[in-house]
Amino acid sequence: MTRVRVTAPRSAPRPAGETREAAEESEVGQLFVRSLIRSQLRLALVVAVGFMLILGAFPVLLAAVPGLAEARIAGIPFDWLLLGAGIYPVIGLSAWLFIRTATRNEARYRDLAGDK
Amino acid sequence: MRPGTATWPGTSDLTVNPAVGVAALLVVSVATAVIGFYGLRISRTTGDFYVASRTVRPWWNASAIGGEYLSAASFLGVAGLILLSGTDALWFPVGYTAGYLMLLLFVAAPLRRSGAYTIPDFTEARLDSRAVRRVTSLVVVVVGWLYIVPQLHGAALTIRIATGLPPWVGSAAVVIVVCLTVVAGGMRSITFVQAFQYWLKLTALAVPVLFILFTLAGNGTAAVAPAAVNPLGTAPAGAYQNISLLVALLFGTLGLPHVLVRFYTNPDGSSARRTTLIVLGLLSVFYLFPTAYGLAGRMFAPDLARSGQADALVLLLPGQLIGGTAGDLLSALVVAGAFAAFLSTTSGLVVSLAGVISQDVLGGSVRGFRLAAVISAIVPLGFAVTTDSLALAGSVGLVFAFTASTVCPVLLLGIWWRGLTDTGAIAGMVTGAVLCGGAMVCGAFLGPAGTPFWLAQPAAWTVPAAFAVMILVSRATKARIPRTLTRVMTRLHTPERPLVTEQKFTPASPTPPRT
Repeated sequence: MTRVRVTAPRSAPRPAGETREAAEESEVGQLFVRSLIRSQLRLALVVAVGFMLILGAFPVLLAAVPGLAEARIAGIPFDWLLLGAGIYPVIGLSAWLFIRTATRNEARYRDLAGDK
Repeated sequence: MRPGTATWPGTSDLTVNPAVGVAALLVVSVATAVIGFYGLRISRTTGDFYVASRTVRPWWNASAIGGEYLSAASFLGVAGLILLSGTDALWFPVGYTAGYLMLLLFVAAPLRRSGAYTIPDFTEARLDSRAVRRVTSLVVVVVGWLYIVPQLHGAALTIRIATGLPPWVGSAAVVIVVCLTVVAGGMRSITFVQAFQYWLKLTALAVPVLFILFTLAGNGTAAVAPAAVNPLGTAPAGAYQNISLLVALLFGTLGLPHVLVRFYTNPDGSSARRTTLIVLGLLSVFYLFPTAYGLAGRMFAPDLARSGQADALVLLLPGQLIGGTAGDLLSALVVAGAFAAFLSTTSGLVVSLAGVISQDVLGGSVRGFRLAAVISAIVPLGFAVTTDSLALAGSVGLVFAFTASTVCPVLLLGIWWRGLTDTGAIAGMVTGAVLCGGAMVCGAFLGPAGTPFWLAQPAAWTVPAAFAVMILVSRATKARIPRTLTRVMTRLHTPERPLVTEQKFTPASPTPPRT
């Protein structure tokens, strides 16, 4: 009697790198890859620049509106509240927007490259 | 670091109860070691040692990244700097967090998809060059050592305040515990240890802050000074300093070796992104507390700034404002959290440095990894016991500037620009290292008072200089663009198939040259 080792089925008969290889070799594939890279870079730059503009606007706002920095909410000065807590939701929101769009870009690439 | 305990007035009522301090340190060290050894049973292969076999779940991984990232600078330094310079110092926690946003935008998924273990692995694969690998390794080791030194300074400060023992005991204790855990379990056990330490650090800051706030509000205690009053009369930072600091923190995070190695523990690129989003949440919640500490310190204990103990604010405030048994217990919690901060950041750095050193010098075996771990912890210990500490958050800020001027350009251009060549990468990294390193050395010689502002915060000019040199030299050496470029760029940016099986990235395999 021969003993066989029982393992979980490997995910797919075709090797994982196949679509990638195909994407590299064909000229059309490279076109898709380049367009994916371009759209991801554009997205990253837009989110980064947008975030930095908001970041820069905070101190400008505090300097431009007299008395705003000294105003108090629950005993805490407004400038502390804005810089110490108000920036974090902006960071989280930027990150969430980026991930959503980046994933969508990749899904579009998958469709184009014929990868299911 | 001031030697001895008698350097500021009223020592006795400002230190933490020694018995409580020692107990807190022992508990954290033992817990770290126990979780570390528990991980030993799981990690067996070389792959396990380096990157935990890339099977760590996003929540675990995110807690571990948070645990590793929140160092002495975050736990002690941020509150101390806020006490000293008020709203100007709020840019530190903002920059530390926003650095992760930049990491998410530009680096997280492509780096995970590169399949490399370390930053030198990445640059070698991308540029198909051994020389680039050697230069990157050197830079990574320098960054790691520079970053470990402030952790050990923080440990020295904490042990002096918490137990009254000589400061070097703290640094040595951190190195010993880290070496034991890393040598025993590698990355797998480190993941559990670090995840535990994030939650410990958060608890250790949050509970005392909330306790202090409720006590003060309950007593109706009036503030000693309004938040706007400056205890030392430090001049407000100019726009240049704030911008330069933000450049350093935003782009320095990209290149920190212990942060990057964590991305390889994600199963694929999109889970690397999800992990980063969770990390951003964890960091945002954490940094509310050092900020609250700094504000409370400014309003209720401004004398700590005047006695030159700003970095110890977090450790001393509960004892000073609450006192009694409750104060002792809260102090113990804070001391435990501080020690968790030194241990987790140091062990993360030691793991990533050991990965680099063992692969480049010792042949990449598990034995080599263990030896390399000991080497990478002992060298900064030598630096730490022979040097004095600046403000913790400030010295860590300089390390970020150095990383932003060296590793960051090669990563960003390597991932997004097809024109990068090995010669350009090396020229850019050397330029950044010489300029920023030179500024740091000059600053150390001139002292904080004598350093002009553009040398004290060099990132605003060293980072663009490194980028410019890297781009110009790459343009001039176009013939050296690697033949593997098309394959590598495809690999970096295209999504993995679902349930992808692991494939080791082999840079040398033949591919048709780009047309």
